[in-house]
Amino acid sequence: MNTATVSAAMVSDSIGSATMLISNYVFPNDLHVHWSMMIVLYPYITGLVDGAFIIAALYYLFDVKSLAPVARFSLLFALAFLCCATIPLLLHLGRPERNFNMLLTPSPSSAMAGFGYIYAVSMGVLVFIIFFVYRPVLVALRKSSRGWLKVLYRVITLDSIDLSDDALKLDAKIIRFLVAIGIPIAAVLHGYVGFIFGGVKANPTWSSPLMPVIFLFSACVSGISAIVFAYIVIAKVKSRPIDHECIVTMINTLTGFFILAFSFEMLEVFSHSYLKTGYHHMVEGLLNGPLAKSFWFWQVKIGSVLPLLLLGIMVLFKIRSSLYTFLAAGVSGILLIQVFIMRWNVVIGGQLMSKSARGYTQFHPQWFDKEGIIAVIIVMAIPFVILFFLGKIFPFWDKDNGV
Amino acid sequence: MGLSYKVRLILVCIGIFVMVVLGFFFKTLLIPDSFGVYGPFRADAIDEIVEIPIRHGTNDSCFKCHPYEAKIHKAGLHKTISCEFCHGTYADHVADGKKTGVLPVKTGEQITTLCLRCHNTEIKARSEKVIKTVAMPDHLRDQHVKLSHNCSQCHNVHAPLKYINRAKQITGLMEKGQ
Repeated sequence: MNTATVSAAMVSDSIGSATMLISNYVFPNDLHVHWSMMIVLYPYITGLVDGAFIIAALYYLFDVKSLAPVARFSLLFALAFLCCATIPLLLHLGRPERNFNMLLTPSPSSAMAGFGYIYAVSMGVLVFIIFFVYRPVLVALRKSSRGWLKVLYRVITLDSIDLSDDALKLDAKIIRFLVAIGIPIAAVLHGYVGFIFGGVKANPTWSSPLMPVIFLFSACVSGISAIVFAYIVIAKVKSRPIDHECIVTMINTLTGFFILAFSFEMLEVFSHSYLKTGYHHMVEGLLNGPLAKSFWFWQVKIGSVLPLLLLGIMVLFKIRSSLYTFLAAGVSGILLIQVFIMRWNVVIGGQLMSKSARGYTQFHPQWFDKEGIIAVIIVMAIPFVILFFLGKIFPFWDKDNGV
Repeated sequence: MGLSYKVRLILVCIGIFVMVVLGFFFKTLLIPDSFGVYGPFRADAIDEIVEIPIRHGTNDSCFKCHPYEAKIHKAGLHKTISCEFCHGTYADHVADGKKTGVLPVKTGEQITTLCLRCHNTEIKARSEKVIKTVAMPDHLRDQHVKLSHNCSQCHNVHAPLKYINRAKQITGLMEKGQ
């Protein structure tokens, strides 16, 4: 292909490419997007942990009774995803098998190594909450199970079958205490992800004190959506009744968090365009150029305005419970994708502009790359596999208690 | 065991505390003494790295004993290329200012192979303005020489255009487009 046909092909690509061809100047070290899809996945997975924990906290600490059907499930969901939260980071570094090392060897010498403390404490608190929440169930299961499962239940229950009122009261106290310290830890966990991006001074789209707030609220949105979606899908697949009250409470919570998340996302764009600081023309060019489709169309219009309208209808009007469930699944599905696109636009979008302040690079996802699409699918499948095995030991729903 | 549930919980708490204490104890055992003196790395590593003998020299170290090659090399297009790049490591040739060994001399096919490490069109190491690249054997065919020719039969390896420019001066011939 000669130069003329190459440029003709690029011009026909879109008007944006044509302008880039004429005006683009990208520093050689900015040409390649170094933090690719794995760095999109790690805040996404961490966010799912956070949101799921919020649902459990509402039930165990704030006594929102209607959330009882999903409270236990959301704890296990959070655990399954927390086990995999650091895999994308370590895979990006080429050593995914060192996943748990991040939790075991934290260090204050860098922002990311310091994250290990927060991950480790979150993991510890979550594991103990699950232990105390499940203890009565596990004691009952210990009696009815045999073989290695019985041995496992004996170990997990500390070989105690004490379910007296005193013991259960003590459990309840410990659960409330652990959840109470768990909430700030969960907030710090995801706020810290935002801080890690917000702390990159060199990148004008990231370097904003709003980052931790935006990440925290969008994390709550994705986690709650995931629980709504999973609850409805599992109930439909196993043809079990769906607790309407529970879905309504979750959707109302989701609406609140989503309004906050979307407002802050837009406020950030607004403050960029009002303050017009140093690199403003680059950020504006980014959102209206290379990111026009994925930001304005997918993230804002399809991913935010549409669910906001649907959530408004669901909150304001009386809807048949079957239609409400269908809408709830739909909205939570869209929001799950919205949060993923938001992470994509922040992480990959933020790296598309060169420090030359005169040009943008492009990102092409690969299928078979170390951090390619196949790898993303595999990493996203691991927490579900863990969840499946957790479900074999800790029954998700009250009906499966086997008591 | 007839321990009550509360006692078991207290034992678990003590167990965690002991593990944390042991963790910190073994951590102090495993961290090298000089770690953290200057920053998050082993300070002794600096002295150890200083102890490693230097293997490479600069072009000036070679030019001290090879003035004839130095004159040609400094005047040619290859003046920015390190001597060691083609000839091998300085430490294999000189130690304490005395010759200790002979660096391998490239002959025949080896010369062409060496040149094509940078000058192969397929590699595109730098833009054409920085490194002139050729495709083999097309280049030999275009120049109407035998396909068995080595690069060094027309090009002085230290100053690639030395003979070519001289030939042009003598014959008054021009290249296409000049």
